[in-house]
Amino acid sequence: MKSAKPIAAAVLLTLLGASFSASAYDADWKRGRIYYRSVCTSCHVAMPVGSINPSAKTMAEWSSYIQADKHAKGKDTVKQYVSKSYRASIKSANKAAEKFAEVPDQELLDDIKAFLIKGAKDGEAPASCS
Amino acid sequence: MGLNSLRQSAGCALAVLLYLFSVTTLAADEPKPLKLTTTADHSKFKELQREFQSGPEVTKACLTCHTEAAGQIHRTKHWKWEHLNPDSGQTLGKKHILNNFCISIASNYSACTSCHIGYGWKDANFDFSVKENIDCLVCHDTTGIYKKPPGLAGNPVIKDMELPPGSGKIVKGIDITKVAQKVGKSSRDTCGACHFFGGGGDAVKHGDLDSSMAAPDRELDVHMDATGLDFTCATCHKTSSHDVAGSRYNPTAMDKDGVHIRGKVDNSNPATCVSCHGNGPHKKEERLNQHATKVACQTCHIPAFARGGVATKMSWDWSTAGERDAEGKQVVRKDDKGRVIYESRKGTFTLGENVKPEYFWFNGDVNYTLVTDKIEKSEGVIRINWLGGSPTDGKSLIWPVKVFRGSQPFDPINKTLVKPHTAGNDDTGYWKNLVWDKAVETGMKDAGLPFSGKVDFVKTEMFWPITHMVAPKENALACVECHSKNGRLAGIQGVYIPGRDANKLIDTIGWGIALLALLGSLGHGLMLFVARRKHQGE
Repeated sequence: MKSAKPIAAAVLLTLLGASFSASAYDADWKRGRIYYRSVCTSCHVAMPVGSINPSAKTMAEWSSYIQADKHAKGKDTVKQYVSKSYRASIKSANKAAEKFAEVPDQELLDDIKAFLIKGAKDGEAPASCS
Repeated sequence: MGLNSLRQSAGCALAVLLYLFSVTTLAADEPKPLKLTTTADHSKFKELQREFQSGPEVTKACLTCHTEAAGQIHRTKHWKWEHLNPDSGQTLGKKHILNNFCISIASNYSACTSCHIGYGWKDANFDFSVKENIDCLVCHDTTGIYKKPPGLAGNPVIKDMELPPGSGKIVKGIDITKVAQKVGKSSRDTCGACHFFGGGGDAVKHGDLDSSMAAPDRELDVHMDATGLDFTCATCHKTSSHDVAGSRYNPTAMDKDGVHIRGKVDNSNPATCVSCHGNGPHKKEERLNQHATKVACQTCHIPAFARGGVATKMSWDWSTAGERDAEGKQVVRKDDKGRVIYESRKGTFTLGENVKPEYFWFNGDVNYTLVTDKIEKSEGVIRINWLGGSPTDGKSLIWPVKVFRGSQPFDPINKTLVKPHTAGNDDTGYWKNLVWDKAVETGMKDAGLPFSGKVDFVKTEMFWPITHMVAPKENALACVECHSKNGRLAGIQGVYIPGRDANKLIDTIGWGIALLALLGSLGHGLMLFVARRKHQGE
């Protein structure tokens, strides 16, 4: 039983290392804005759901949404639509996907999150889609 | 050493190894994020590692390293809001001119100077020599959260406050320390914070600059396309010593200097099309380059302005302002799209999207009717400014222009335009009390100008050349847009435009040549026919 503690510590440190590396990235809200408008919104306006303004949710709601990673009420994931493979699949018809084709998935997700948090209803600069 | 100790030691070693593995593996998988657009992370500078309580505190910290910046800023139009036109001798700039939309900054400083690159310009006594009054953040913010609301004389809101006072509306304070630690190059967002909102709202004055240009697509602006070339404003408005090139007060209408070459001393305007594209940019169609000797690039390549989904104000009639409802309250009316077209405090507006510009010969000369100039209402529409140019001066091109039309207050006794006190929560502010006499008296007193006590209204026009919202080449104007009877250049004089113009002599000669060619062909055919019959008969 005692030997379980160092193992648990190892796991914690591993997670810490991962989170430390991730937190080193300084998210680019402008890149998030372009991707959100050019990929997310351009698809949403073509679908029945319509566009979703960043100011439609609070910061907490956006954080929860991204953390839960459930797109279309759980039918698929948010990360899927930010992934390199998704960008590769639409880049011939979507210039934002083409431009950011090589951006690491987590960085782009952080960029989008930064834009949404900043533009949230209670954010520092509530934003619309346009 | 017991078995447990061994297990614990092994566990610890495993923990350290896993930690190192997690960090090094992640580092190996994805390169360390690195900002390539700047050489400095300002959050690492000890001068900025403190809590700031005001804008001037931040500026003081900036100037400890950027020792020459204040001196540079103090020389610029953006700081002085003043420009001496070397050609006309007129002293221009927002500090002096008036326009026919929001009219003038005199006595309205606290509202208008939310777009000044400084802190505290609340009246005519602002000290332009104080270094700490410079606002570095308004141009160098990268967070997008830095805001300077009207009414605070260019100061941002640091702590939550009720604005306007007594309104019950709380404006949240911004984290100015965060903004200071994340400064960087200017961007479309920072320039746009003022230039997209000139006149008190999105797209009000500029028809070719509005919030849609913050992250435009290719169709809206081929240069600023956020997923393409992604130009910032400063890409063209190349800045030297904090002085931003390109000015509406002193524009370059015809650029004969060609492309700017790195390393070559060139004092010409870098914010022209020619400075990058040269004087013969059409590689396949020499005929189009010939057009460029008479027609500005913008004329064909900006087919319409206000194309980004934001309507621009086309006219502003102050003479209808002042209505109150049955309860004595101010009135706001909107059109069927929910856009404001009447306000008691401002009057009546017309709005436009996808607006075709009007076209004029323009040689770069811009003159203004100043508040000290005499005007006559009987002369009809008064031009707030006018563009010089003619088809024969060798300096003019045909330019697209947004024409602002309006009706604004003037003094019928002194025969001058006037500067009313509009913004302000005081007894003479027009927006609060809707009384012109008091508002104009206060404004003119602040400007140090005479006022008779009488107010009338005069129709006015203002002319701004259009130069942004450049469309992709496939969306440039088609020939028939101009080469037709009632085309876009129907009002342009002094140049023969095939398809539009008819000259009896040229037409007679042309049709005569065509008729002769037809007769020649028929005659030649007839002779061949006769010769063949003759040959067959033999």
